[in-house]
Amino acid sequence: MSKNNDKKLKIGIYELTGCAGDGLLILDCEMELVDIFQAADIQSFLMAKSDNIDGELDIALVEGSVSTEREIEELKDIRKRAQVVVAFGLCATHGGIQARFSEEEWQKNLKEVYGDIEMSHTKAVHSKPIDEYIDVDLYLPGCPVSKDQFLNFLVRALGGSPPEVYPNPVCVTCKYNENDCLLLKGIPCLGPLTADGCGAICPNHNVPCYGCWGPAEGANFTSEFYLLQEKGFDMEAIKKRMANYSGTKLQEFFEKFKKESQ
Amino acid sequence: MKIVKLKKDNLFPFLEAIKGDAELWAPVKKDDAKHTFQPVDDFSQIDLDYTRTILPPRKILLPAKFNMYQASKSEFTSDFSHISKKIIFGIHPCDIHAFLTMDKFYSYEIEDPYWLEARKNLVLLGHSCWPDENCMCKSTNTHVVEEGYDLFFTDLEDTYVVWIGSSRGDDLIREKPELFEEDLTDTDIQKFIQRRENRDKAFTTEINFAAMPDLMELKYNDALWEKLGDACLACGSCTNVCPTCNCYNVEDRPVLGKDFSNIQRCWDACTLENYSGVAGGENFREKRADRLKLWYTHKLQSYISKYGKPACVGCGRCVATCPVDINVKTVAQSLDGNEVDSFWDRLSKEVTK
Repeated sequence: MSKNNDKKLKIGIYELTGCAGDGLLILDCEMELVDIFQAADIQSFLMAKSDNIDGELDIALVEGSVSTEREIEELKDIRKRAQVVVAFGLCATHGGIQARFSEEEWQKNLKEVYGDIEMSHTKAVHSKPIDEYIDVDLYLPGCPVSKDQFLNFLVRALGGSPPEVYPNPVCVTCKYNENDCLLLKGIPCLGPLTADGCGAICPNHNVPCYGCWGPAEGANFTSEFYLLQEKGFDMEAIKKRMANYSGTKLQEFFEKFKKESQ
Repeated sequence: MKIVKLKKDNLFPFLEAIKGDAELWAPVKKDDAKHTFQPVDDFSQIDLDYTRTILPPRKILLPAKFNMYQASKSEFTSDFSHISKKIIFGIHPCDIHAFLTMDKFYSYEIEDPYWLEARKNLVLLGHSCWPDENCMCKSTNTHVVEEGYDLFFTDLEDTYVVWIGSSRGDDLIREKPELFEEDLTDTDIQKFIQRRENRDKAFTTEINFAAMPDLMELKYNDALWEKLGDACLACGSCTNVCPTCNCYNVEDRPVLGKDFSNIQRCWDACTLENYSGVAGGENFREKRADRLKLWYTHKLQSYISKYGKPACVGCGRCVATCPVDINVKTVAQSLDGNEVDSFWDRLSKEVTK
């Protein structure tokens, strides 16, 4: 490692509740790992190293959703120490699968799984994306984030630039790949509603998009909802599919449909 | 113009003879249904029994993403490395017309070196086709080609009548003159005429393109656009599959561990929300209805006044692609005052019921 570590960007990588897939993705950048560790001063990365320092940071990448009281404290501490906080991966940006339930449903699920036991070390809270608790500067969605997205973010950050975002839906890359549209075949694909960046990997294999990068900006949920309904899908099934990865961000939309269907 | 004849059995030997070090692109069947243009080494993969490919052949000249140049602090170097000698075999008249439209567009006032350089390295071997219910090329008068190809193959059962459209095309024939016959018989000519007449009758969709510029103007504030906007999934597919769409975005891609950036050109689509976004977070066409209006202005109106013909070449790809039935066919029919059976129309009734 070079001696002038002081001038390098100090980066911390933190994991809250999730599968740790986003951190793993960084380690999976095998060809670039040496360059990454040479270009930046990785202060904390529990999955990759043991000599972690919890000090001042230029950038904190936070993976996972907030699911315990301890995580709320940890997150607030990260915010205090970091100039820029990046929500890293779908659980951090949208809450992930664990945030798909309403508060009420979550309470019920918690009781069903854990019963009445008292947790001694921390208390579980309804899973939420990190911006429910702190200000977030940048969002890198994805389940997991893509290598291209992460490396491009990093190299731009090193040069002082904000990341290139993926503002388009999955359909754009799907069409580049010349896939026959699954919606036209009557398959409930969420491509038009989902942020691009995955390379349309599911539709490339004839599997409909499940929305794991979270909702695309400006996505037309109403139209797709009626389209799927016209194709014979049950309202509850469509809602479930749409809610799986959209976390807390689509609750308003579903509330509207709930009212309409009553 | 010269016309020769080629027995179908002689097609592959001919392609083999002219291929040389070029990349030969031809229609290949994908997923048992749709076709795509692919580079082929094994000619048995070629499937000429197709109506339209998913993406238009412009992808062969300008890929969805390519490096335009490399830039460092002190200099930049142009990158034409994606351009090589290419042959497109099996391209239909509508797509050849689209290339001619793009030629005009990319050399109008400012020349686009990437298109023009790729075009110089391209041999176009056209092939006859048969319309389905979504083909509108007879209405756009792009169902036949008189220029823009090197050779054009018309399928007459066991033989091709081959039109030579350029001196380069003539040179190609001279690579293997023994494969061709010079003299067309009366029967060949009769077959050709009969085929043309039958094909003309096979078109079932007629669009009044001549009326579109006026109708676009008159109905600029029609409720139709809101209906379309309500249904549009803003997926950009109509634009990505259109053979005359040409907008692109330019992205800086700095390279980790290097002191230069790749400046990447990638397709963009005016039907996508981000397209009209500008610095400061403003967006000129945030509404889907406004974006569709822009796209249809280009396809049905503005090119006609500028180039004398619509930008639409009638290929029907938007019809075959849009999941919510927003396409040149339904929009033009609706502008022309017809009731159109479409998801967007049904949705407008559903939402307002």
